[in-house]
Amino acid sequence: MSILMEVVAEQWEYRELLVRMTARDLLLRYKQTVMGFGWAIFMPLVNTAIFSVIFTRVATIDVGTPYPVYAFCGLVAWNFFASSLRFSVTSLTSNPSLVTKVYFPREIFPFSAVLVSIVDFAVSALVLVALMLYYKVAVGLPLLMLPVVVLAIVVFTAATALVISMANLFYRDVKYLFEIVIAVWMFATSVVYPIGRVGGKLGAVLALNPMTPLIDAFRAVLLDQRLPGMAFGVTFAASVVFLAGAWVMFHLAEFDFAENL
Amino acid sequence: MSTVIFDGVSKKFRRGERHDSLRDLVPSLVKRAMRRRPDPTALADQEFWAVRDMSFEVGPGEALGIIGPNGAGKSTTLKLLTKILRPTKGRIEINGRIGALIEVAAGFHPDLTGRENVFLQGAIMGMSRAEIARKFDAIVDFSGVQDFIDTPVKRYSSGMNARLGFAIAAHLDPDVLIIDEVLSVGDVGFQEKCVTRMRELLGRGIPLVFVSHNLGAVVQLCTRAILVDRGKVQFDGRPAETVAEFRKARRESAAPDAAAADKPIAITDVQLLQPDGEASPLHTTGKPMTIRVRYEAREPIRQPHVAIDIHSVDGVYCAGINTRMDDCTLGTLEGRGFVDLAISKLSLLPGCYSISAGILDPQGLRPLDLQERAFPFSVVSDRRDFGFVYLEHQWMQGHGTDVRPAARHEVRLVSRPVRSLAAVAVQEELG
Repeated sequence: MSILMEVVAEQWEYRELLVRMTARDLLLRYKQTVMGFGWAIFMPLVNTAIFSVIFTRVATIDVGTPYPVYAFCGLVAWNFFASSLRFSVTSLTSNPSLVTKVYFPREIFPFSAVLVSIVDFAVSALVLVALMLYYKVAVGLPLLMLPVVVLAIVVFTAATALVISMANLFYRDVKYLFEIVIAVWMFATSVVYPIGRVGGKLGAVLALNPMTPLIDAFRAVLLDQRLPGMAFGVTFAASVVFLAGAWVMFHLAEFDFAENL
Repeated sequence: MSTVIFDGVSKKFRRGERHDSLRDLVPSLVKRAMRRRPDPTALADQEFWAVRDMSFEVGPGEALGIIGPNGAGKSTTLKLLTKILRPTKGRIEINGRIGALIEVAAGFHPDLTGRENVFLQGAIMGMSRAEIARKFDAIVDFSGVQDFIDTPVKRYSSGMNARLGFAIAAHLDPDVLIIDEVLSVGDVGFQEKCVTRMRELLGRGIPLVFVSHNLGAVVQLCTRAILVDRGKVQFDGRPAETVAEFRKARRESAAPDAAAADKPIAITDVQLLQPDGEASPLHTTGKPMTIRVRYEAREPIRQPHVAIDIHSVDGVYCAGINTRMDDCTLGTLEGRGFVDLAISKLSLLPGCYSISAGILDPQGLRPLDLQERAFPFSVVSDRRDFGFVYLEHQWMQGHGTDVRPAARHEVRLVSRPVRSLAAVAVQEELG
């Protein structure tokens, strides 16, 4: 517990660096790409279009809301998770000169990857609002829970980011494994279809996926005017514990980073 | 006031390659499970001590030089000091903000402009945005890259890159300063600025640790130096003494095969002898000094020329002497031996200097071996003249045909111009 207080305090001390590293990555993307933040919108839009064709023309499913809003909503949340992890996985290994030459809390690397994705998340959320207006999706009081839901997603993402960035530093296989896992994981989550409809043993296994209650909750408060359920509460609590554990583990391994890079 | 304490610090490393892929994980886990808990003080297979039981302290206003051969543990010590590595054993205590002039441009991103990189690198070094903004003009001014501050650093020359990085580090206002070879950055003018800045920080009473292969710079900048070899502190003393000790150690270990295979003759050492024949890094203005160039010839060299140059630490060329211009002919140099240059009265004023020695072919054109600025020494005395050279002199005053010496009176030494900190330190100790 005392280690946890220590690492959080240290991270707070270096908060400006975290902001600067995030600003660096955003600035770089803006400089290096023509579309800049457009990419944050483009990808989920393309995916939405593809899945809309599949699930409204080929195999029709009823999700209670206009399908494009349903899919885009899920994809925005999922993309935040997936792109945070995609940046995190190589965040330590792609900055060898900083990791081996200068001291500051190493969490900054995965955390800034998450922060960069939060900015993308915010940008694509604007498109989500536009879609909701277009499809005349009504919102109600449960929307007030949105910050809590987003926080829960961020906590779970940050914890996972810590673990995989560290894992990839020690074992470079993780980077390759990650691409496979993230692709499978998306279809095991309620991103473009309600996963709850999968029954039987497979359904029971899929129910353990922590991303499903998080994305379901996101959609519940935004589209369905419902409060998040019990599963969300449990997942949130578990994510907080997960983040604490991952952070402490990261801190303990931190001093071996320079030797392993 | 901050201090740096290194107390019985050891650091263990593993030789050879580490498993970096999952394929190697399983066997290594099995192996680890089979073995009992490893004892941190014992060495497992393939392990070695990079730093072994090292202890030293650096107090406020003290500048500690760390010298030693390659692979002695200097870099590991540096990484332990900057918290990049954690010691296997022992205690390191440093309070306050550490300013490390190591890889000063490590955080630079090539696609960002100089301005953006100043803010990024500043944050990496632990400065707040407000602090960087306040010091921004001073940093740019110091670096001398004003005209290119809004150009991406990928278009910078490596010198500009390093200068900008150093300028940021120089404005850090640290509580402890750790330096690694930065004096090799930039031109002479920039180096001077750096040294001035370091002295300024030293003057404020912060401790400084300086790791370098530039022995002259260590003598010039430091108040104390340690010799590190095989992970241990082998010698601890005044910089000039430690440098002399290092040379001695190197001579002893390197003597048998000093002559490199591609050189017909090699300079194995240069010693500076006092009037009593004792080798010393300290000499006195007005006293004799003998420069002894030791060599080892792989083949007999007929009538070569020997050249000796003396530079001040600031890089000023003070003297150049060689046998060719003196119309001197040396006989054949064979096996091991030495050539002495006997100076009857050393005319150098107090300060730090370094000697370059060379052995040239009979035409005096092609160097057979050249050791440039490799042998530092200090000159001390109570002379208070300015410059580098003591001109033997006396003051006269006259009226018509009556000329008589000006009267001399005894003065107490109040202050003298400071040109070299090391020399002052040495003098204080002697005086």
